[in-house]
Parts: sequence; C-alpha cells; structure tokens
Amino acid sequence: MTGSLLLQSLILGVLLGGLYALLAAGLTLYFGVMRVVMIAHAAFLVLAAYLAWFANSRLGIDPLLTLVVTVPLFFGIGVLMQRLLIKRLRPATLTMMSVLLTFAIALFIEGLVGFVWGGTQRRIQLSYSSASIEIFGARIAVVKLIAFGLAALSLLALYLLMKHTRFGQALRATIQHPEAAQLVGIKTEGVAGLGFGLGLATAALGGTALSLDATIYPSLHWHWIGPLMAIIVVGGLGSIPGAAIAALVLGVGQSLLQVPLGTTWAQTIFYVALFVTLMVRPQGFFGGRLAQRF
Amino acid sequence: MLTLSACADGGGGSGGGDGDGGSDDPIVIGISLPLTGDFSEPGKGVQRGYEAWAQIINDDGGLLGRQVELKILDDQSNADRVVADYEVLIAQDEVDLVFGPFSTRLVVPSARVAQEYGMLFVEPAGAAAEVFEQGFDNLFYAAPAIAQDHYNYLADEILAMPEGERPTTVAVASMDDPFAQGTAYGLRDKLEEGGLEIVVDEVYPPNTTDFSPIAAKIADSGADMVIGGTQYQDAVNLIVALQQLNYQPQLAAFSTAPTNPEFSEAIGSKTEGILSPTGYTPDATWPSNVDFVEKYTEIHGNPPGEDEANAYTTGQVVAAAVEAVGCAEQGDCQQQLIDWLRDNEVETVVGPLTWDETGKPQGAHLIQQYVDGAIEIVLPGETAEAELIFPKPAW
Amino acid sequence: MPNASSTLAAPERAATAATPTDRSRRRKIATVVALIVAAVVVGIFPAAAPNAYILSAGVVILSYACTATSWNFMGGFTGYISLGHAAWFGLGAYGTGILVRDLGLPSFVAWALAGVVVAIITVPIGIAALRVRGASFVIVSIAFVLILLLVFQGWGSFTGGSNGLVVPRPFPDLMRPVHHQVFFYLFAALLAAMLVLWWAINRSRFGIGLKAIREDEDKAEALGIPTRNYKLVAYIISATFTGLAGGMYALWFGDLDPIFQFSILLGSYMVLMALLGGIRHLLGPLVGAIIVGIGLEVFKLQFGDTQFHLVATGLLLALVVLFMPDGIIPALQAGIKRFGPQSSSIREMTAGELAERNRAAGVSGASVFAGRKAEREGVENEDATTPTEEEKR
Repeated sequence: MTGSLLLQSLILGVLLGGLYALLAAGLTLYFGVMRVVMIAHAAFLVLAAYLAWFANSRLGIDPLLTLVVTVPLFFGIGVLMQRLLIKRLRPATLTMMSVLLTFAIALFIEGLVGFVWGGTQRRIQLSYSSASIEIFGARIAVVKLIAFGLAALSLLALYLLMKHTRFGQALRATIQHPEAAQLVGIKTEGVAGLGFGLGLATAALGGTALSLDATIYPSLHWHWIGPLMAIIVVGGLGSIPGAAIAALVLGVGQSLLQVPLGTTWAQTIFYVALFVTLMVRPQGFFGGRLAQRF
Repeated sequence: MLTLSACADGGGGSGGGDGDGGSDDPIVIGISLPLTGDFSEPGKGVQRGYEAWAQIINDDGGLLGRQVELKILDDQSNADRVVADYEVLIAQDEVDLVFGPFSTRLVVPSARVAQEYGMLFVEPAGAAAEVFEQGFDNLFYAAPAIAQDHYNYLADEILAMPEGERPTTVAVASMDDPFAQGTAYGLRDKLEEGGLEIVVDEVYPPNTTDFSPIAAKIADSGADMVIGGTQYQDAVNLIVALQQLNYQPQLAAFSTAPTNPEFSEAIGSKTEGILSPTGYTPDATWPSNVDFVEKYTEIHGNPPGEDEANAYTTGQVVAAAVEAVGCAEQGDCQQQLIDWLRDNEVETVVGPLTWDETGKPQGAHLIQQYVDGAIEIVLPGETAEAELIFPKPAW
Repeated sequence: MPNASSTLAAPERAATAATPTDRSRRRKIATVVALIVAAVVVGIFPAAAPNAYILSAGVVILSYACTATSWNFMGGFTGYISLGHAAWFGLGAYGTGILVRDLGLPSFVAWALAGVVVAIITVPIGIAALRVRGASFVIVSIAFVLILLLVFQGWGSFTGGSNGLVVPRPFPDLMRPVHHQVFFYLFAALLAAMLVLWWAINRSRFGIGLKAIREDEDKAEALGIPTRNYKLVAYIISATFTGLAGGMYALWFGDLDPIFQFSILLGSYMVLMALLGGIRHLLGPLVGAIIVGIGLEVFKLQFGDTQFHLVATGLLLALVVLFMPDGIIPALQAGIKRFGPQSSSIREMTAGELAERNRAAGVSGASVFAGRKAEREGVENEDATTPTEEEKR
C-alpha cells in the first residue's frame, strides 16, 4: 500500500464515517427516548434519497434544496409515528414488538418506493459529479465533501440542541431516567414524540447527503441498517457520542480494510465488531447501564 | 402413482389436443422475465425483443400458420419465483413452448425445470460458462458467444501490438456475478498469459454503491488498462469514481453498460474511447437483421439494442426449429426440436448460429468503442466501422 | 396455557388438575380435530392437486410451515424474536449441498449431518446473542444473516459464491411431479416431528421454564430457572430445525444462491407467519404459513409486475403487531366464544384485568385457575375490536 493510497483511504473513511455518525445518532435518539430499535430508519434514508433524486431529475431542483421540504416532513412523520403507532404497543413487549412494527414499516416503504419509481437503480447526475479537489496528493470528490459537510453540520446542530436548549435538557433527562424526568415535571410523552421526529429528520438529512454520490434502489436500506445497528451496539445503546465515535472508527476501519481485503470482506468489520462487543462488553464501549437490559 | 398418471394424462392429453387442433389455436409461448427487482432494466429490454418478435411473426402469418401468443410472467429477479413461474407455465397453463429468462442466476434454475418437463429451452441471456456445465441437454444460448469469449477480438488485438506500444499493466474490477466475471476474467486471463501484469484484481458485491475505494486502488496502481466486469449501474459508478480521481488509462473496457442507450447520459457524456463487447449491432447486414431493425424501429421509434436483439434471436431459433420439425406442443415434439437444433445452423439477426452438445454457441462478440460520442464497431477488422483508437483520449 | 410461575412447582399436576372444564375439553377436542383434518388434507393433497404447479406450491407452503414452526421454538416459548432465522435456513441448505458435493455423502445422511453442524454453530452464536436481551438480540439476529450473506458470497471457492451451488437431486430418476410429491410427504413428516416435539416441550417442566422467561425473565431467574441454559437449548432446537427445513429445501429445489438463501425477507416471513397464526399455539405457525403462503402465491400471480407484495407484507405485519399480537387462532377462539353459550361475568373481567396487570408486571402467585382464565380474557382484550381499551388503561 502506498502512502497516497493510505491517505486517500483514510480521507474516504472519515467522509463515510461522518454520514454513519449522523445516521447512527438518529437511531440512538429513538432508542434513547422510546427504547425502540427503529429498523425503518434506513428505509426513510432511502426514501429521502429518492425524493432528492426525483426533485433533481424530474423537476430540475438541486437535491440540497429538497431538505427544505423533507426535513420538516420527516420530522412530522416521526412525531406522528410515535403518537399513532409506537405508543399503541404494550409497554411489556414494546421493545420486541416495535422492532417488528418498524420492520413492517421498512418493508412498506421499500415496496412503495419500488411501486412508484420502479426497482431500477437510480443516480443523481450533477454537473459537478466528477469534479474533485486535491489535498496533499489525495483527491476528494466535491459531492463527497458536500455530503460530509451536511452531515457534520447536522451533527453539530444536534449536539448544540441537546446541550444548550431547554428541550435538549428535557430530552436528555428523558433518555437518562424517564420516571425521574416525569417527577421533575417534564412531559416525557411529548418529549419522546419530538425526539422521534428529530431522529427521523436526521434520516432526511442523511438521505439527501447519500443521494449526491451514490446509486439508490429500493432494497438499499438493508445495506445500511446492518452497519448502523452494529454501530449503535458498539457505541452503547442510547449514547449519542458513543454512536458518533463508533461510526467514525468503524467507517475509517472499513475504508482501510478495503485495500487489503476487498469490498466484500471489508464490510464484515461491522459485524465482527458487533459480536466482539457482545462477547467482551455487552453494554457497548460508551454506553451506560441502559444498554445491557435491552 | 395416482397423481402421476393423472398428470401425465392431463398434460399429454390436452397438449396433444391443442397441437392437432388445427390452425385456429394460437401457439402459446411461456416466458418468465425479471420485470421488477435487480435485473429489471435488461429484463424489460428482453421483453421488448420478445414482443417485437411475436408481432413481426404474426404479421407475417404466424408460425406453422398459427398465431403466436406470449404469456409473460414477472419473476422479480428471484430464483424461487422463476422456478415457480415456469412450473405454472408448463404444468398449469400447458404452454406449447417456453423461452428463457434473463440473467445467468435465473437461467440455471429455470433450465432445470424445463429439463425435467422435457421442454426445449432456448435462452437469450445465460452467458456464463457455468450454465453449460450443468449437463442440460435441452438448453441453447441464442447469442454468438459465451461470456468468456466476449473479448476475444480485443485480446488478440492487444497481444498483436508491438512490445513497446502495448499496455503492460492491467487493473480488473468485477461485480460478483457469473456473467460479469466471465467477461472480465476471459480477457484478464488471456492478457496475463500474453505477458501483461495484473496489478489490481477487485471483486465487489452486486449491492455496492460506493466505488471510491475501488477507484482509489485502481488509480493508485496507475495501470495502463482498466477492465470492468460490469452490469449497468456499477459501471456508471465506477467510471464516475475513476473520473473523480482523474485517472486516465490508455484502454478502458467495460461489459454490458456501454451498450445501453442511456449510458452516455448517465456518466455525463464523458465516454470517449470506452470499449465494450457486443453481440449485436443494428448495422449488421444479415438479411433478417435488416428486416428486424426496420420493423422494430417502426414499432418503437428507435433501433433495437443488444437485449432486444438477443430476445429476437431466441424467437428466431425456436421458430426455425418449429418450422423444420412441423410441430409446437408439449411431449415428444420437444425432443424433436432439441434434436433438430443440435444438428443444424440457424440464420439470425446476429449471424448464423450453431451449438455444441452443451448448448454453447460457437462464435465471438464484436468490440465497440465510443468515438466522438458515437458507438462504432472497431473489431474484428472485417466488420469494423472505424479504427480502434489507442491510446484512448482523456475522459 | 397454565400460569407460568405458579405451576412451576408441580407441572404434572398443572396439566391434569386444571379443572377440566367444558371449555378446556372442547379446546382439546378442537385441537385433535384440527390435527386430524390437517393430516387428512396432507394425505390427499398430492393426489387431489390438479397439476404439478399446485403441488409445488403445496411444497413451498409446507416448507414455510416447517420454518415458522421451528422459529416458534424460540419465538413462541421464550418471546425472543429473531428476524434472522434465514441464517439457519441458509446454513442448513448450504451445509447439505456442500456435504453432498465434497464428501459425496448420500443426500439424506448429508441432510442430517448438516442439522448437526447447524446445532454446533448455534452454540457460540447463541451464547453471544443471548448475553443481551430484547432489542440487541434482534439486532444480532439480523446482523448474523447479513454477515453470512457476505461470507457465502465472498468465499466463492467453498460455497460457490455468486455462481450458486447446485445440489444433486436425491432421486435423479423421478419426473418432476413425482419429485414434488415425494418432497411434499418429506416436508410433512418433518413438520409432524416438529409439532410432536413442540407439544411435548409445551407440557414439560422445561417448556414452563421457557414460558416463564417469556413472561418475566428477571422473576424467572429469581425463581431459580437456569434462564441462560434454557434459552440456549431452545435456540439450538429452533435453529437446528430451521436448518433441517433449509436442507430439505435444498434437496427439493436444487439451486442455492446466497442472495436468496440468506435473505432478511425469508426471516421476516417466518415471524409474520408465526405471529399471524399465534405464537402461543401449537398450530399457530402452520395456520399462519398457510395463510401467508397462499396469499403470497395469489398476490404474485395477480400483481406480479409490481413491488406491491412488499407493501402488502409490510401492512399485514403492522396490522398483526398492532391489533392481533396473539395471532389469529386466539382471536378466532375469542370470536367463537362470544357466540357460545357462556357469558362473561363482571368477575371474569376483573380476572382478566388482573392477568393483564400480572403479565405486564410479571406473574405473581395468582391461582392456577385464575391464571388460566385470565390468559383467555387477555386474549379477548387484545382482539381487534377493542384495541383502545388498553390505551385508556
């Protein structure tokens, strides 16, 4: 492996890890507020990517502009989903049944996308698709930089929201200890709904970022949900910083492993990490006491 | 036991009845195609080809004086489905003939169904060598060459270049798919034998969407030549990723995708010099092809592509056997059709075809190249429309 | 179904001492009648099938029933929902194929051996997966399918990779319709073996321990049930039977491809079928498999050229989860009971509520009788007509 290939892979890994981090943060939010493993997260990601593709190829709108519509839309869908569907499930079996319910939603979205736009692979064609800039001998595609920037900004916004707003405090309190949060007067039900909406909004952002430089097809979400779930387990269920760190580490790891091992085997890093985590430290490397019980 | 005799009676009885039923009954042909799912894009091309064939032959008075009727089911690019579909077509609908589906992954399971019902199975798209190693005695591939032989003319051309001029290093990236790997590895192995060095040899799963790491590896190797064992979208992604890295090889060969009419637009028209094997060109002067291109263009407004032509060829091959033997029904007739095809040559839109005992066609593919934004046949010499451009211009 | 913790001490007595009321006797008779009807249908179906396609669809549905029933050894008894059982199906199928190919074993010896291999592989995977509960278990189960898909695609020299693996026919001389017929009976026999074992476990001390885990794992552990070992054994049984079903499928179908064997959709069908039929009931997965299997065939023949079957599968699964989590058999029973002679008094409603609370908060020392009744009432409450009641509470 030459030095420039190493640098190139490293940069690609960071760019990929950024997107993983944003999406894993969303997945962690659902789990934090509701103890729900949201299998449909990646399906919404693909849906957002399709909306961006549709707007670009059929209406001629820049994919980034679709965010104005998709982010609020997905936020609303998230809130409604929590209010109308997830809350109906019995608390005793919530975790298991919510997995099935969100799995069903994922199938539904996949079928709907295929039904409306067909099963063919799609890709946004932009005038700057093949443009790139050079940094220290490594070449970085402009679209990848935009996607990473979008993910990083969203993650930063999410962080600020969680750390420095009243809503963020309420959200964190709900995540840490719902009963105690209720006792100090936080309306955890409402907060959970908003948290769910926030999680889904990250899918809208991630999907748009993804659509800039990747092929999309209806069943693509299976390709994403596996690594994402591995990330949140490795990071520790319920921990947003943990998810972000695990995402970056595994993203870079995948990118570097691709050089000696090839594409197929490099993907297994996520699952190996998942099994190792469960054997060595089931609560994850950054999670608290939450993780083991779910 | 009871069922066996009942089934045999049912199948044989009504099959025979239909067959002898005079010229009023249409000949029903059963087909399963991937109209949704991973292979839906080429699957629809094959469907257009089959439908064009049926329309053209019906306008000509049909087959054996009977009209032809196609019964097309969708297998969703799924092996379970394709088997169930042919089961429905042969056992339940009792079609008179079957045509093959698309993609190697689906051809093998469906050929087995046809085999176990004793049906002739001519298929337009199972080009990988594995298809012909299964011991099927009812299968015929209706195209000039199997995947491994697609690049034969190009390999010969490269190896014939003088030592100092010809490329010395080769990078290979192929989808993990029997057909795509077949084409790429056919060329790779011939070049390697000829003394070229393979510096990158990558395989990626069919669901890969991010090609930057593979492209990085290829660009880093600085190979003189890049070979892509590709289907469609993966070729687009790989080429865009290579262009993002500003990698400029002397030769770039990709299978399948460049023969697709939407290819050029998909990679932003930066197609200059891309090579691809093709089993078909609308400009070929075979008598039936001139007719086919004219009528197809009348129906669809544009000339047929490779998938359409392969499907049409399938129709031609079966039609030739049916006309020669004089029957089209389930039962003994199928074996007669099979026997006839073993021993005879069929004139098709891709030229005259013959097969060995495994159903392998005995020919090679043409090589096309993008020259000034247009597709030109550059190899072999006798059918070339333009000179092979080497080294290829920057893309 | 007996109340878990209270019957734990005396499982034998629980089965007999449960005051054989008219209802329980009727229920038993209904099960026996259903089994006899099922056996007769299985017996005459191959002869009655109008053509080989219908027969092959019957084989597919029976293979679905086998997978759903074997899934239910884990999902039904312990409540651990695995979305990744396709992994075991694929391992069984590939194991059978590879053993025939590489060792030249007779088909059915290879099949049985593949079952053993699956059982052995289950042990470490089970230990890792069962270190965590609920959500993480589901994640691991899905991850396991995805990792096997990668391995079986990537390791082409051993598995055939994307070229697929051709499994030689066990009876090469049979014509296709007879081949289907033979495998129809083979699948039926496999299913029968599973049903007998399920029935036996259901009545055993082991089964009661498993059900206690389902109702409240912490309490079960506190009561001295070796929960980890129990779960592991259930997981091994479940995975092994799924593998055997996969191996049988490989011998029947003949062509294996990683994409189609290690598919998440296949695993989700198992869950859907078991839940739809009712995971607490012996015949639940079978009923679910028949409904889903026929539905899939009809749907694909009718709306074949769209992705609509995914939408329908998703909707059906969501509806079952939301409104009928105990499945169609309990829902039907409740419906029949409503038209039956017995009435539900106020007292019974209270018992039902009690049981509902018990189930949510873990079973306590309620009497066997109340527990049984409560179970049934709970079922009634979950019927599609009264979903809001629960929310109000």
